[in-house]
Amino acid sequence: MSDGVKEPVAAPFLLRVVGVLIGCLTALLGLGYFVVAGAALGAFLLWPRTRGRAHALLASGARRLTGVERWRRSVFFHDTFPEHRASDQQILRYLAARTYSGLLCAVVVGLVDFGAVLAGIFAVSLTTRATMTWVDVLSQVVLGGTLLFLAVQGLRALTDQDARLASECFGPSERELLQRRIDELATSRAAVVQAVDVERRRVERDLHDGVQQRLVALAMLLGRARRGRTPERADALLEQAHKEAQEVLTELREVAWRVYPTALDSLGLREALGGVSERSAIPVRMEYDVPAPLPPAVETAAYFVVSETVTNAAKHSLADEVHVTVRGSGATLTVVVRDTGAGGADPAGSGLTGLHSRVAALDGTLRVDSPLGGPTTITAELPCA
Amino acid sequence: MRVILAEDSTLLREGLVRLLAEEGHEVLAAVGDADALLREVEAHAPDVVVTDIRMPPDHTDEGLRAAVRIRELRPEIGVVVLSQYVERNYAAQLLTSSAERVGYLLKDRVAQVEEFLDALERVHAGGAAIDPEVVRQLLIRTTHVDPLTRLTPRERTVLEALAEGHTNAAIGEKLHISLSAVEKNLNAIFDKLGLHRTTGYSRRVLAVLRYLES
Repeated sequence: MSDGVKEPVAAPFLLRVVGVLIGCLTALLGLGYFVVAGAALGAFLLWPRTRGRAHALLASGARRLTGVERWRRSVFFHDTFPEHRASDQQILRYLAARTYSGLLCAVVVGLVDFGAVLAGIFAVSLTTRATMTWVDVLSQVVLGGTLLFLAVQGLRALTDQDARLASECFGPSERELLQRRIDELATSRAAVVQAVDVERRRVERDLHDGVQQRLVALAMLLGRARRGRTPERADALLEQAHKEAQEVLTELREVAWRVYPTALDSLGLREALGGVSERSAIPVRMEYDVPAPLPPAVETAAYFVVSETVTNAAKHSLADEVHVTVRGSGATLTVVVRDTGAGGADPAGSGLTGLHSRVAALDGTLRVDSPLGGPTTITAELPCA
Repeated sequence: MRVILAEDSTLLREGLVRLLAEEGHEVLAAVGDADALLREVEAHAPDVVVTDIRMPPDHTDEGLRAAVRIRELRPEIGVVVLSQYVERNYAAQLLTSSAERVGYLLKDRVAQVEEFLDALERVHAGGAAIDPEVVRQLLIRTTHVDPLTRLTPRERTVLEALAEGHTNAAIGEKLHISLSAVEKNLNAIFDKLGLHRTTGYSRRVLAVLRYLES
């Protein structure tokens, strides 16, 4: 799940200082560009028939300079920007604002330097000729300190603004992020509904193809037994019917378990997963390391990820072993199912799509890695917050 | 009679084969999907075909489509379809051409061995066999229809038996009433439903069903 611009890890102080200084230089570059390009294209920009072309030309140059800014932000400030293409309008607006604030920053940096020089002179004069009274010294120190404070405040505000401008232009805006999240939620909601329908269809199929056919066959056996020409024949049919009745019960239990494993509620994820490995047609090696209790929704999703993928592996992959790892680390539960089979699992298949929806509904991610020739690895990450 | 079976559940297919064999019928072929059914029908020309509606590959209405096709190509072959649920639409599709040599039974009816065998016999004899449950549901759905509500309880039971495809004699036996009483009831029903009196009972079934479906 995207959460837009990630909180950057702060770069070392000195690096940031260098970044600010380079920013002052690039602002001069920007100013130069606007002056030169403005002079060259100004007339065309005013002329309606050439406005479009001129504007595009101006923007493409600005885009290059903006690229420099982007590089500066990522190298010196360790900003990480998502894939995002800003419009021409945004680029021009950004470069103008950034140039202005960069120039202002250059002025403030200049003032700080000037102040530092003055402070140096003042300090030297203090040590050499003591012509100043205490009042002079005190007033100079207070004045210098105040100016220094203002300069530092100004610098801070300007560097903050630099960062804000960059994130607005290079990353998606707040509004876009919201829009994206809404789209995501709408998609995952629709997918959940669809997944529920797929499950229901499967349950119906299970009942119809398994339990019901067996019951009809059982009733038919009993009917035949009643019509049995001889007592021996009737007995033999009854015995068959008795066996069949037990098969029906087993089948029914299996179907009910596939619909929802009640062990999840009563005994928890670990026990339910134990049930999966017991039922599996191929050996399952289970590693379970979850220190903290999990939210029920996460447990259910994790359970179905394991049970579906293990069933798939047993059915399609020709694997001779499945390796399941369930690991909880603070805010995330990671489920990895790896089989030694032939690979080529289809992520768009109904089973995996259903799982994907189930996981996405919890803001988790599901990755399917199944190259032809295997092995198949399915990784689900589920946030537990 | 010579029968071909189409049923995708192996268990049930085997059960049906045994049952029919025990009753002295000849099972020419027992297959698991609609395509194989059509091939076998072409090859053997059976008296009656029994087919499940839901079969591979899609588990929708493959068997029904095959049944409709068999009726078009070989109307002399009796066709009995086994339906998972009561589907008026399926029943209607099957009965559109005629109500002769045709059966529409719920799958569970197979469990009522006598009724199932009886339905097969009726279809083989040129009649119709509509599952009592189908008729019951159609009647329930149409209780708001005026003419039907004018039937007496006795007439309703007679109508149900009629819609199932029984002959007058069989209706009398089923309800323990005399043949003349059955005929009297039937005439009353036809009068109340505004249907023309005819003798061919399959046409009567068709008329009743069509009326119920309207």
